[in-house]
Amino acid sequence: MTQRTVPLSSVADIIRSKNAGPFRITLDVLFSDPARYRRVRDSGAVTRETVARAYGITQQEITSFFEVDMANAIKITLRRPRTQGAFGEGDVYGCQQHVPLLGIAVPEA
Amino acid sequence: MKQPITVLTPTGTLGYGFGADALERGMSLHPHVIAVDAGSTDPGPHYLGSGEPLVSRLSMKRELTQLIEAGRAANIPVIVGSAGGSGSRAHVDWTVAIVREIARERGLHFRLAWIYADIPHDRVRAAIRAGDVNDFEAGYELALKDVDEAATIVAQMGHEPICAALDQGADVIIAGRACDDSTIAAFPIWQGADLGLAMHMGKILECGAFSAEPFAMDVMLGTVHADHFVLEPGSLKRRASVKSVAAHSLYEREQPYVHAGPGHEVDLGDCTFTAVGERQVRVEGARGRMTGDYFVKLEGVRKIGYRSISIAGVRCPTMIARLDEILDEAKRNAHRYFEPAKLQIGFHVYGRDAVMQRLEPSRDQVAHELGLNIDVVAADAEMAHAACHQLSGALLHWHYPGQFNTSGNLAFPYSPSEVDAGPVYEFSIYHLMKADSPTELFPGHLENL
Repeated sequence: MTQRTVPLSSVADIIRSKNAGPFRITLDVLFSDPARYRRVRDSGAVTRETVARAYGITQQEITSFFEVDMANAIKITLRRPRTQGAFGEGDVYGCQQHVPLLGIAVPEA
Repeated sequence: MKQPITVLTPTGTLGYGFGADALERGMSLHPHVIAVDAGSTDPGPHYLGSGEPLVSRLSMKRELTQLIEAGRAANIPVIVGSAGGSGSRAHVDWTVAIVREIARERGLHFRLAWIYADIPHDRVRAAIRAGDVNDFEAGYELALKDVDEAATIVAQMGHEPICAALDQGADVIIAGRACDDSTIAAFPIWQGADLGLAMHMGKILECGAFSAEPFAMDVMLGTVHADHFVLEPGSLKRRASVKSVAAHSLYEREQPYVHAGPGHEVDLGDCTFTAVGERQVRVEGARGRMTGDYFVKLEGVRKIGYRSISIAGVRCPTMIARLDEILDEAKRNAHRYFEPAKLQIGFHVYGRDAVMQRLEPSRDQVAHELGLNIDVVAADAEMAHAACHQLSGALLHWHYPGQFNTSGNLAFPYSPSEVDAGPVYEFSIYHLMKADSPTELFPGHLENL
């Protein structure tokens, strides 16, 4: 039996990206409901592998991946493809790089 | 610590505003200090390189006036960290001049301290030769050549240089580049507060009411006690919640459990967040410790040339279908035309992949209308302008197979169609350097106004 899935955006409350210094972009997925957080955490749907696939990058470009129980959050940090503000870079604050996370498939409740 | 210490942080970045009513209510809670961050690397490398301030003089003077008047009326210190945006000498001097002007115009008398955070190039060279510089996240070891090329180098100070100014009786402290949490934590630590608690509180308060809900650039207060601290927004229209505060603990940083700063680390692994009433959150569990060596983070930029840009819309589907090949050829032509000048030519294509570039998963979903930003950087402004104009002109009248519309390919919103954007900098130094002491790199100055 295949489990039905929903997009991550339908179960998480905040999905955001932001600079963590000029060389990294950090992605936060936050849940207001601890039970939902634990269900997504334990489902194996959001991992280094699925995040790398969503962004079309290698897992080596993900510098860290944390499940942060005290904040009901999953935190992923990427090496920036271009240094913040370098020639050709397009998002100085790194705040519009979260979109591929929205559609990651997670199990329906 | 003889008593709990309350810090009032008026906003996340000085110059970005706060509510006058929120400040008034916050001051009615009798804070012991007003402390605020005024800068970051977040707006990019330009400010450190050019010395131009991040916010307008108008905003800075208006907000500093409000804070200094509030601080003087309550007889409490006002501390500003990373003054001017980058916290370079130019930015500290700019801010100090505004403070002097405020004192003169308002008839205020107080002791002003300012602290520089620029690191002389020779000091960094000596540190490289001594093996005292490590990469932080730049991805390369710092070379002497990087130092030679750097326009400006600053280091993030810890709380100690600010405490030294407090020792000297400063009422208003304008600090150059400083760790944002250290700016907020300095006064409580000076009063004997626990390092870990004060730093954790500083990390949350430094963004003002961004840790509250609804979030905003607004007033936030934190009171540090012997074994915990309590957060509360200044405005009664906002509340601190366990969710908003815990979420903010993750903001803008990679490591959720260990926050490293100059000469210290804070372990947040055992933190707990508890609601107190409707609007307050109690936080406990942060454990701070001093590290053996005292490392500071260097930030440096180098100038890569001068920029000109041209913005245009592309609406014709035949042009949109061939855009990549046309842009590639126009770029090759421009390089040839201006040989031997070295040009950096880029195109940001909005409506396709300008925002996410290589990370864009939906590059094939092209909009019916595209925004094209032609971006040129050259060694001098004249060459950048010439090349940008050559490109926009060539693309405007480009001929391609299947073309219906022969009168022009680009819809320019502006005349002139090129904008000269001035000097361009890029981050070139983001490394850790060992300091001999917490204060040796950060000279303080005093003046009685």
